[in-house]
Amino acid sequence: MREGPRFLLLNRIGCTQYDQNIRKMKTHDRGDLLAETAAIMAKGVTKAFGQGETVVRALDNVSCEIRTGEFFTLLGPSGCGKTTLLRLIAGFEMPTDGQILIDGQDVTGQPPNKRAVNTVFQSYALFPHLSVAENIGFGLRMKGIARAEIDRTVKEMLALVKLEAMAGRRTSQLSGGQQQRVALARALAPRPKVLLLDEPLSALDLKLRKEMQVELKRLQTETGITFVFVTHDQEEALTMSDRIAVMSAGRIQQLGAPREIYTRPRNRFVASFIGDTNFLGATGVPGGAKLGSGQVIAVDTGGKGGQITLAVRPEHVEITTPDAEGAIPAEVHGSVYFGTDMNYQIALADGSEIEACVQSGVTGEAQIDRGAKVGIRFAPGSVLMLED
Amino acid sequence: MRKTLGAIAILMAGTSLAQAEGVLQLYNWGNYTSPELLAKFEKETGIKVTVTDYDANDTALAKIRAGGHGYDLVVPSANYVPIFRDGGLIVELDRSRLKNFGNIAPEWMDVAWDPGRKFSVPWQWGSTGMAVNTKVYGGDINTSAIFLDVPEELKGKINVVPEMSDIVNFAIWYVGGEACTEDTEVLKKARDVLLAAKPDWLSMDYGATERLANNDWAASVNWNGSSMRARILNPDVAYGYPKEGYPLFMDSVTLLADAKNVDEAYQFIDFIMVPENAAMISAFARYANGIAGSDEFMPEDMKTAPEVVTPEEFKAAGNFLPTCSPKSQEYLTAIWTELMK
Amino acid sequence: MASEAERAQAAASTRNAWLLSTPALVLLFCAAAGPLLIVLVYSFLAKGDYGGVAWNFSTDGWVGILFSRDIFDDTLQLADAHLTIFWRSVKISLLTTLITFALGFPTAWFIATRPPKARAMWLFLITIPFWTNLLIRTFAINEMIRNEGVVNSFLQGIGLISEPIRMINTDLAVLIGMTYVYLPLMVLPLFAAIDRFDMRLLEAGYDLYASRLQVLRHVILPIVKPGIVAGSILVFVPSLGAYVTPRVLGGGKNMMIGNFIELQFGQGRNWPLGAALSIALLLIVMIALIFYVRAATKGSNPHG
Repeated sequence: MREGPRFLLLNRIGCTQYDQNIRKMKTHDRGDLLAETAAIMAKGVTKAFGQGETVVRALDNVSCEIRTGEFFTLLGPSGCGKTTLLRLIAGFEMPTDGQILIDGQDVTGQPPNKRAVNTVFQSYALFPHLSVAENIGFGLRMKGIARAEIDRTVKEMLALVKLEAMAGRRTSQLSGGQQQRVALARALAPRPKVLLLDEPLSALDLKLRKEMQVELKRLQTETGITFVFVTHDQEEALTMSDRIAVMSAGRIQQLGAPREIYTRPRNRFVASFIGDTNFLGATGVPGGAKLGSGQVIAVDTGGKGGQITLAVRPEHVEITTPDAEGAIPAEVHGSVYFGTDMNYQIALADGSEIEACVQSGVTGEAQIDRGAKVGIRFAPGSVLMLED
Repeated sequence: MRKTLGAIAILMAGTSLAQAEGVLQLYNWGNYTSPELLAKFEKETGIKVTVTDYDANDTALAKIRAGGHGYDLVVPSANYVPIFRDGGLIVELDRSRLKNFGNIAPEWMDVAWDPGRKFSVPWQWGSTGMAVNTKVYGGDINTSAIFLDVPEELKGKINVVPEMSDIVNFAIWYVGGEACTEDTEVLKKARDVLLAAKPDWLSMDYGATERLANNDWAASVNWNGSSMRARILNPDVAYGYPKEGYPLFMDSVTLLADAKNVDEAYQFIDFIMVPENAAMISAFARYANGIAGSDEFMPEDMKTAPEVVTPEEFKAAGNFLPTCSPKSQEYLTAIWTELMK
Repeated sequence: MASEAERAQAAASTRNAWLLSTPALVLLFCAAAGPLLIVLVYSFLAKGDYGGVAWNFSTDGWVGILFSRDIFDDTLQLADAHLTIFWRSVKISLLTTLITFALGFPTAWFIATRPPKARAMWLFLITIPFWTNLLIRTFAINEMIRNEGVVNSFLQGIGLISEPIRMINTDLAVLIGMTYVYLPLMVLPLFAAIDRFDMRLLEAGYDLYASRLQVLRHVILPIVKPGIVAGSILVFVPSLGAYVTPRVLGGGKNMMIGNFIELQFGQGRNWPLGAALSIALLLIVMIALIFYVRAATKGSNPHG
């Protein structure tokens, strides 16, 4: 079990090798390596505003476990409660009900300045009257650490986020991306057990955002600090996280590794929030489900009969000739060019519409014309039954 | 059409009536002018009098000197009348316009500061002495020691009115000198006495009538009329005549050189020389006036009040303050500034 | 390479700028600089016999600020009475500034953290005394603290004290009066600065292990410093020249610079000295301001 960030040491022996090793040990293996006690545990946490009739539950009886050393993402649309949960962990607000535990200790009543947790704010919240170096050293200064050590740590942090040249500058003189890195360094300097990041990349342009995603991931693996990352961008979540908690309306809809969330969404919300999904109404029959257009397709229904909803990703929809084996007859109604992919809008016999996503050819032209009669096949195991 | 013409005619008549009525600007000491007197004056002559207050001769002098004041009459103290006169700020009075001139009491007709009363007409006169709340201090109040060598009971409770000539001369008399002296020995002693006594004073402010009445002050150097008014409000206040020497003052009405309402001014000056009216002036501020024959119109309580009717044994100690020579004035001023710091 | 047209336009706009600012400049000169020049000239004249000035050159006025001739032996000595007056004024003004800050900061913070609608009402309440005449306000304080005033009557009424507490006619009375009079002048700039303050920085401070006191000292105060500077100036400068309040509440015995200057134009009959004192006061305040503003805004980014 790793004790804490030894990034200096790691930097010297060469991160590449270390990274490779970590990458090799994906989800399952890493789970064993990671600590037994959870870094953060939320137990039945509820946060309500208002009273009686007009009460609004920003969080409704949420429980989850965040493991030490993992990159954990809270993902959801605005108003789903992800930021609220983050703020409860940080200590800026107290839960109406439930408990928050950090490293096994109940911190529910503790103010933020007593929790070994630091936050990277969405607005960065850099102190305008302090220089970059002073900002970074602020937490250590408040803790009463010796001057020499503060200076040393600040130097380390500046190197970590590659801002050595900016040490003496005023924060207002920096670009958005640089400010973000200062906020990061400032939050990392006190070596917290957990780092909370509240949509830190939302103010950056696309190119910069992608760069920072890589940076953040690198930092997290190097330092080994538990990251709790809040975002509404599902792509971000998928690329960076070890585990994702998809939230909506104050509840966790699904919690799991990115692959699992993507390939096995539990309900309609998760399925439509992450990536694109085709929804098909069907009836449960022994061995599968019967579509409205009559065909039966193989899907694990768990023996459920009656009305069910099926979900299948556009990229698992194969377009073939109408007389191919197991193909469902359909007609192409239109196409949209996405650069890397081509999306075809396809209608089945019973009128239900689905999308198929096909990789673009070299010329990028649509290979199938509008109105063409085609056959649809779903990749084996790609069709899921949703819970609701 | 006829209605509007009629209305315009009435309006014009109204304004011209108003113009016929005239105004008068009187610049006088605060709390010194009887409102009843002004009402009676307006009723008889139609002239409306506006009074502006000052609390010190120097204030009035500075203001008049500066010009552009808009006043017609000013009422300086005796020792300042020569200063106003020599500065060309007031004019000689035209006797032919003052039919009541003969009413001035004989003893106030020919005064040192205005021989033959060429420039001024008496308003009120009085003395400066010690007003003491006898409940707080029961000892002898007829001495300047009340404020120059403050008794225990009055320490920190006595006010000294910031009238330079009165206070400094009190001190000079206390140490045995003469008013307006140029004797540096005497002046030194007077200064030292004042400086030694100052820590025991509560304040150096005006407003004795109210402050003595509501017990903010237990004692004050004060003028007799104000003390009488204080006693009427607070029976414990008694007036003492310092036996070492106390100043008498007389304030007289003078006509300013740049007065605008000269006619109205003469009417007013004439008006106040009528015995009944003079009595009215006295009845308000409780000071004696200088008009013969006004006694029978004076209010009852003034006829016997110790503040107004000076007891025989103290009469000799009262002196009018002369106008000091510039040299002596400089000494007074220097002592005063040192005291005020 | 400015073209003819461009140059003509530039010249025209400069001319227009001057024309537009002429009325303001004239007003400034006549109303501000002009009278000051007169006062400056007066300070170099000799004093007139009964007040006023005599038109001879003399440095007596300036010398008189710090030195006085002993009236009797005509020796020049350090006028420590003058220095006492200066020191009393500075001391009271500094205390007034400190006390109004100590009272005003929590007040401004309170108002700034109210919901926006309530804020207007609170500001209104703070500025109501401002609408009343200064003299009335001062007399109101007088009524409260004099021996038979509101405070003493109340305390005696509930039996807490048997003798009235002597508050009037002391330096304390002047301090109370000045604090009351100048409090709104400290609250308003502080409020403006706190209003601009980004409250999220407080969370950042707490997140980084700062206690409440540390957040106050290291986050809040440095950032609202412009407001503190403005408020301090608005209180210190006028209170240094205060005249009415010390007169009414101090009882005329303990003079401050304002009263001392007034004395020279009244019974003191020394206009040159009064003029010199006025100019000296102006210079001292200007110098103090320059130093204060420099020191207070040192190191902080004007855009920060």
